[in-house]
Amino acid sequence: MNSNQFIALAPILIIAGAAVVTMLIIAIRRNFVLINCVSACGILLSLLAVGLIWQANPVQATSLIRVDGYALFYTALLLLTGLSVIGLCYDYFKARTGENEELFVLLLTALLGAVVLVSSSHFASFFIGLETLSISLFVLISYTINRQNSLEAAIKYLILSGVSSAFLLFGMALIYAQSGVLDFNGIGRYLMNQKDMNALVLSGVILIIAGVGFKLSLAPFHLWTPDVYEGAPSPITAFIATASKGAVFALLLRYFISAYNYSYLPFLTVLSVIAVLSILIGNLLALLQNNVKRLLAYSSIGHMGYVLVAFIAGGRIAPALVVESVTFYLVTYFITTIGAFGIISVLSTPQIEADDLSFYRGLFWRQPWLATIFTLMLISLAGIPLTAGFIGKFYIFASGADARLWGLLLTVIVGSGLGLYYYLRVVVVMSMNVEATAIEPVEPVQKRMSTTILAVLTLLLLWFGLYPGHLIESILLISNSLK
Amino acid sequence: MIELLGWVPFLPFLGFLILAIAGERLSRRLIPWIGAGSVGISALLTALIGAQFLKGAMPPYRLALGSWMAVDNLSVPFGFYLDPLSMTMLFVVTGVGFLIHVYSAEFMESDPGYARFFAYMNLFVSAMLVLVLADNLVLLYLGWEGVGLGSYLLIGFWYEDPNNGYAARKAFVMTRAGDTSMAIGLFLLFTQLHTFDIQSVMTQATNLWTPGTVLPVAAAALLLGGAVGKSAQLPLQSWLPDAMAGPTPVSALIHAATMVTAGVYLIARTHALFMLAPSVQFAVAVIGAVTLLMAGCSALAQTDIKRILAYSTISQIGYMFLALGVGAWSAAIFHLLTHAFFKALLFLAAGAVILCFHHEHNIFRMGGLRKSMPLAFLSFMIGSAALSGLPFTSGYYSKHEILLAAFEVSPVLWTAGCLGALITGIYSFRLVFVAFFGPQHAQVEKSPGWRMSAPLLLLCILALAGAMLEIPLASVFSALAADENLHELNTVSAITVAAPFIGVLIAGLFYLTGAFSTQRLESLVWIRQIQRFFFSGWGMDAFYNILLVRPFKTIARLNKNDAVDSIYSATAFLSLMFHRLFSSLQTGQVRWYASSMVLGTIVIIAIGWLS
Amino acid sequence: MNGIPLELGLVLSAVLFVLGLIGVMVRRNLIMILMSLEVMLNATGLAFIVAGSRWGQADGQIMFLLILTLAAAEVGVGLGLALQIFHRFQTLDADSVNEMQG
Repeated sequence: MNSNQFIALAPILIIAGAAVVTMLIIAIRRNFVLINCVSACGILLSLLAVGLIWQANPVQATSLIRVDGYALFYTALLLLTGLSVIGLCYDYFKARTGENEELFVLLLTALLGAVVLVSSSHFASFFIGLETLSISLFVLISYTINRQNSLEAAIKYLILSGVSSAFLLFGMALIYAQSGVLDFNGIGRYLMNQKDMNALVLSGVILIIAGVGFKLSLAPFHLWTPDVYEGAPSPITAFIATASKGAVFALLLRYFISAYNYSYLPFLTVLSVIAVLSILIGNLLALLQNNVKRLLAYSSIGHMGYVLVAFIAGGRIAPALVVESVTFYLVTYFITTIGAFGIISVLSTPQIEADDLSFYRGLFWRQPWLATIFTLMLISLAGIPLTAGFIGKFYIFASGADARLWGLLLTVIVGSGLGLYYYLRVVVVMSMNVEATAIEPVEPVQKRMSTTILAVLTLLLLWFGLYPGHLIESILLISNSLK
Repeated sequence: MIELLGWVPFLPFLGFLILAIAGERLSRRLIPWIGAGSVGISALLTALIGAQFLKGAMPPYRLALGSWMAVDNLSVPFGFYLDPLSMTMLFVVTGVGFLIHVYSAEFMESDPGYARFFAYMNLFVSAMLVLVLADNLVLLYLGWEGVGLGSYLLIGFWYEDPNNGYAARKAFVMTRAGDTSMAIGLFLLFTQLHTFDIQSVMTQATNLWTPGTVLPVAAAALLLGGAVGKSAQLPLQSWLPDAMAGPTPVSALIHAATMVTAGVYLIARTHALFMLAPSVQFAVAVIGAVTLLMAGCSALAQTDIKRILAYSTISQIGYMFLALGVGAWSAAIFHLLTHAFFKALLFLAAGAVILCFHHEHNIFRMGGLRKSMPLAFLSFMIGSAALSGLPFTSGYYSKHEILLAAFEVSPVLWTAGCLGALITGIYSFRLVFVAFFGPQHAQVEKSPGWRMSAPLLLLCILALAGAMLEIPLASVFSALAADENLHELNTVSAITVAAPFIGVLIAGLFYLTGAFSTQRLESLVWIRQIQRFFFSGWGMDAFYNILLVRPFKTIARLNKNDAVDSIYSATAFLSLMFHRLFSSLQTGQVRWYASSMVLGTIVIIAIGWLS
Repeated sequence: MNGIPLELGLVLSAVLFVLGLIGVMVRRNLIMILMSLEVMLNATGLAFIVAGSRWGQADGQIMFLLILTLAAAEVGVGLGLALQIFHRFQTLDADSVNEMQG
């Protein structure tokens, strides 16, 4: 380890340090606001470190971690996500009784896992990152321990995540048994020298896909998604939906490109089947859903299917374009998803989670600004022009068409059509007459932090929708850093 | 000064925005100040710009506003274009528009939708200004649709009465038919000439196309379709009489002075294209001649004061079309100008009568208003004189020019025009004699205040002397070869001057002195039938009913279950089925979830091995 | 390092893995499910050790250590949750913990 490598690892080290420091401060002085500030400062420091090494050359810091432009971009994205979620958590947990300070420690460790994931270039760091993230999430999901749903969601996620980890590990073991290497580039070299695909390696990669598919809630590994989304506290749901999935997706892309997996048709066939199933099943399940959190869960299944289409296109088009499409889509997906769950978390009170559709009846007349933001988020998820979601979907189509994946694109079209129905259904409910609502007006609690975050997200949504050029330029900088 | 041109349409738009957003929350004293004020400042600006513009040699002035859109090889820069033609229109729209706004401030005072009214009016004025100033066809089309929207909103202003809504829809749908034709015309021009800029379209068309070939004829005919719809000419004229459902100032502004003449403006603006298509240009003349006669006859049979004026508007625009058709471009615009003055005057005076006389529209229940409403009487006398084209009024000069020009081209057209002038004399003075002379049937409720009187007086002066405001348009229409220095044809000229007098005389004999009795005429069955025919506007509504509405209704009834829709309902049904199926798999049982993962993994490994 | 052939080792770990998997799928008691999970994870650990021994590397054993750590952490959290669930639902039957569905 030389100093260069230390500097490259700085963002990760700072997050790890922040987690420890936060934990120690809790032991000394239990103060919700203070802990919130400390953890936010830790993230900001880490972001600063990312900014400082942004221009530097790629560094292979130990054989486990590779810090390049790609890793740094996703690190920054994850850190910003973490920052927004901390902001949402502040308002969400402030009013709740109980010891809520450890929440931030867990958020930081989850973030640490995610950041390790996006820079990992080795199965060991892949695994460690994934598990650091998952185990933190189990506790985060069950954090509101007085809600039965929360507990149920956590135990389901724990068991299923354990099963998926086992699949993943068994897949890794199979590959290791055949190739004798654990780092992505080594596997890539091994595969390049193979003439025929070994059945064990094939099974191994497919088992990895299955394990990752679970984390990404791709069909047919999606069944846990709605229950966990519904049970987890809303800000945490936002984190699961974005940071956890985004990091895993970024890792999968790095693995596929570095380990030379794109050259094998069976993988792409398997992924195509998964993509089609995810798009159709996710969108169909969302159609008549009356619980907004479950609805967003199902829609996220569909969205992961959409990104997978751009991902599969990598079999025929240049990796740089795949990175560009996937990254743009994920950024827009992050913005809209945090926004949507942010709305739910702002509307929730310690007594009720605002996830039933009836809660949103006439929201336009009660809280016009929130309703407007929610509408914008939803139409961005639906991919309607002038929002970032449209550009994202445009990228999916562009890369899919480049790779001539007509069947998959047709599925995307069908899925988008279905999506329009249930997204607009929520908008319609929000604009319904207020007299018909049975819910007594909730006393408006000042949630400045969350509303600020929502406002910023809305601006970003429109900015990237109207002038996508800025974001595209910075993505182009990193799109060639994967080898 | 001229650089401020952009503000002329923008100010009314600003007024619209303020009034639309603040709405009835504004104090009622403030509303007319914003509504009429914005147009007033526009008018002032126009006057200043006009003074500067007319002083010089009047080179066309272009104000680039930027680019509307630039996608690939399609780029639509837009800007304003000021030449004597658009200058004339600017004067009409802002000047007459301002007077009507002032008038409305009193006329609409007690209406609950005061702010809404002015918001719509400002929107309309703004759109109309964009229309006349546009330097490219797309911007012109924006204004064109904008005035259509304004017209629709204002006809249906009193929307509580379903009949008004129906009239608004009728106007909208009928003009839309013309607009569609015009849009296709624009597409044709663009695909052929690759530009939207009006001036380059005209020069390129002149350079590239041979007169009388298919392309210019098709383009001109399609544009004519738009003009015919907007200007209520045959065969799309029947919406205008129904459009009188709107408040009277609206009728004065939109359905007399400005919007309905947009068609005339369009043809004048694109005259180079029409000169390349002589057959279409002749069709314009014929449409004008036939429309002016038909509408004149219909006006004879009406009893509603506003409908008489509406039919007379159609008839007068017919004159303008006649002038365009015979190549007397300047005369057409000149008549547009004078018509705007005297028809606005007539409508506003009619509005005053209606407002002060129990909201009565039927002229036969008025009578003897000469003494009780002297100002309205004066206005009607001057307005009717100008409308009939009696000498020394503004209408005389413009109409005279048109008829002499028509004679140059075809004596038949001239005969139709003279006959029309005679009929004009009859119906306009029938209105005056019936409503203002004879015994008074009821008392006048109130008399108009200064805000209504001042515009009437000003318009009286303009209707008399407006002919002096004629702007030399030779530079715009320099392309045309036919000079307008007409030979002095004494007989023709004399007949042309005499025709309206004969009309007035006939009206006087019937309705003033009672030398002839209408009852005697009406006792004849065929006269009554003709009268009914004229009253219904030559049965155009019934005609359209049979031609379009009924077949459409029949088709709609036949396809009640919507054959095409069944595809979509089947899709919806299938989606629902699958939704139920997949939902039933979400059992909430963690063991089933784990099993499904195992199953899924086995399946994808199998797929991987098999492929 | 040629005591046990690779294939046999992998088959053993696969059998253990499947046993654990079946345990997760058929047992209803949460504790038993967690134990079956342990079996699965250990089976993968065994596979890594077998593979490591084939190549004569320490990597496989290191992976096993990592897996052990994970398993410990996971079971720690899992038992904590099971405790709370027993507290709330008065049962450890995995099938009765299904309030959310649809």
